[in-house]
Amino acid sequence: MSEKIYAVLLRLFPSRFRESYGEDALQLFRDRARHETGLFPRLRLWVDLIADLAISLPREYRYPEPALAAATLAQRANAAPSPTFFVLPEDSPRPGALVIGGILSLCAVLALSALLSRASSRKPLRAASNPSYRAASALSRSYAQRAPEASYAASTLSAPDTLVSPPQEQLATSSGAFAAKDGTSYAPSVPSTVPSPAFFFANSFSPLDTTAAAPVPQPRDTAKPPRALTPAPSNYDLITEHRRIVDAAVSNLNRYYVDPVLAREMSDVLQTHEENGDDNAATAGPAFAALLTKQMRDVSHDRHLDLIYSEQPLPDHAAGPSAEALARYRGDMQRSNCTFEEIELLPKSIGYLKLDSFPELSVCGSTATAAMRRLNGTDALIFDLRDNTGGFPDMVSFLAAYLFDYPTYFYNPRENVSEQSWTPSPIASNHLADKPVYVLTSSATSSGAEQLCYNLKMLKRATLVGETTRGVAHATAFHRLDDHFGMGIPETKPINPYGTPDWEGTGVAPDIQVPAARALQTALKMARSNSRKK
Amino acid sequence: MPKRKLDPLPAAAFQILLALAGEDLHGYGIMRQVVEQTDGRMRLGPGTLYSSIQSLLQAKLIGELEAREDAGLGHERRRYYHLTSAGRKLARSEADRLADLLRVARAKKILRGDYV
Repeated sequence: MSEKIYAVLLRLFPSRFRESYGEDALQLFRDRARHETGLFPRLRLWVDLIADLAISLPREYRYPEPALAAATLAQRANAAPSPTFFVLPEDSPRPGALVIGGILSLCAVLALSALLSRASSRKPLRAASNPSYRAASALSRSYAQRAPEASYAASTLSAPDTLVSPPQEQLATSSGAFAAKDGTSYAPSVPSTVPSPAFFFANSFSPLDTTAAAPVPQPRDTAKPPRALTPAPSNYDLITEHRRIVDAAVSNLNRYYVDPVLAREMSDVLQTHEENGDDNAATAGPAFAALLTKQMRDVSHDRHLDLIYSEQPLPDHAAGPSAEALARYRGDMQRSNCTFEEIELLPKSIGYLKLDSFPELSVCGSTATAAMRRLNGTDALIFDLRDNTGGFPDMVSFLAAYLFDYPTYFYNPRENVSEQSWTPSPIASNHLADKPVYVLTSSATSSGAEQLCYNLKMLKRATLVGETTRGVAHATAFHRLDDHFGMGIPETKPINPYGTPDWEGTGVAPDIQVPAARALQTALKMARSNSRKK
Repeated sequence: MPKRKLDPLPAAAFQILLALAGEDLHGYGIMRQVVEQTDGRMRLGPGTLYSSIQSLLQAKLIGELEAREDAGLGHERRRYYHLTSAGRKLARSEADRLADLLRVARAKKILRGDYV
């Protein structure tokens, strides 16, 4: 009986001990039990056994496999510098050990793959959360700070000389481009006389102008109810003022509008409405401007044609951009790396270029070349134009040149077809001409950036990922009617080879519609799966 | 790494070496011999005994002989163990160490009587 109990207790020992000495231990127990009879010796025997178990059990489990230990010993004896391996054939692992081992390895593999997938997604995540959406560059931020609050203070049509507008030094006196609707900069409007470098597509480019870069709020969009044109407008004053504006608009239309027949028709309509008193309800400047715009578009269906009202006095734009303004623009560009915000080589040989404007080629050509050289070896290219508000079309064309290996016509709503309408492709030792291109867009992507989007989309050269763009073509030249009213008049009608209206008012719709914040992620996914297919 | 530490030599291992110094013994024989030479103060249980034997064997301080019957203990075959020369050497050096210890203890006069 007691032997059976001890045999059960012996099972507590590790199997390797039981195999070697289990029988001997039982034998010893039997021998002792045989010799140590009587109550006291038997009690002592059990006390001994229990004490022995308490001492030797932990020790047995603490020490490693004897064969392994022996191996280590032997290895030491040989002082072999190289690692030695021994096979233990007589001890096969228990099924339990195999199961635990299997589960552990499975966990390790899963953890590793989870880590890997996180690590690879981290990069784009960082890129997306990162400066991309520090919306404006330092450049535009500084302008924003200078932006005067929208105010409809005391602007008047009937008594323009009593303006209580922002002080005169805020005026864009030296500028060739000045703020107009949406705070957009328009190029100087007298095409014949101004050799303008400021073919601006967009407002973030207004550095050429001293102040007007400060976005002037678009009166029509603002929630603030505009005040009456005059503090106490008499009907007579209002009619006189309206007539003056309409006359100015008519003369500009007839002089500059690309289609003289349509210009004539629009003039008639404008004058008829004015004479019939249809305009008298519009007592506020913005409303009046909107009304005239509608009347012209009803006739011409030309969405580029625009008549705007600016709260701030519009500068007299006869003068071109000053040398000082140009110098400041260059300095700004140099400090901001020409708005090449990020140039990164992402895993899987994907190039990422975040560009927040299309800077002037003569100032930023070398920066642009360096950026494209850096991306030259990549297998796919992502242009991030989500914060790009446009710029110079020569830069658009210059960058686009890398995507083609032959000169490619780039439609520009602003210019007649010329040699400049073709990209300067091919570019020597450029490998990007046949690489997939993804363009990230947002609702803020505008003007020159939209030109790139539109053309690449029409040419099926890129996949647009993101949101529909803002929809400003800036296809017009700006003409000042008086201190507050101005007109954007299309003076050219370049060939749009795609037969569809351009993006004015509608924007360029993306190929893949996702929120701008997720555009990079989506494009990366597509680029990766595309590279896998190869 | 050796399987078990034999340095310093555990008391049980030293007793086993001493037990085998006189004659070759099987497990139970060793146990009884140890009881005898310690006046019953140390009774090795099976676990302690055989794990000590195991480590002594690995360190080649004792050797295993062919199993045979012990006439006084029935017909069961038992494994016998003998002291190797290395084991004898180690036992001697351990005894020397203890003797040194004893001399120190004696010099410090912490022993009752000087007959030890």
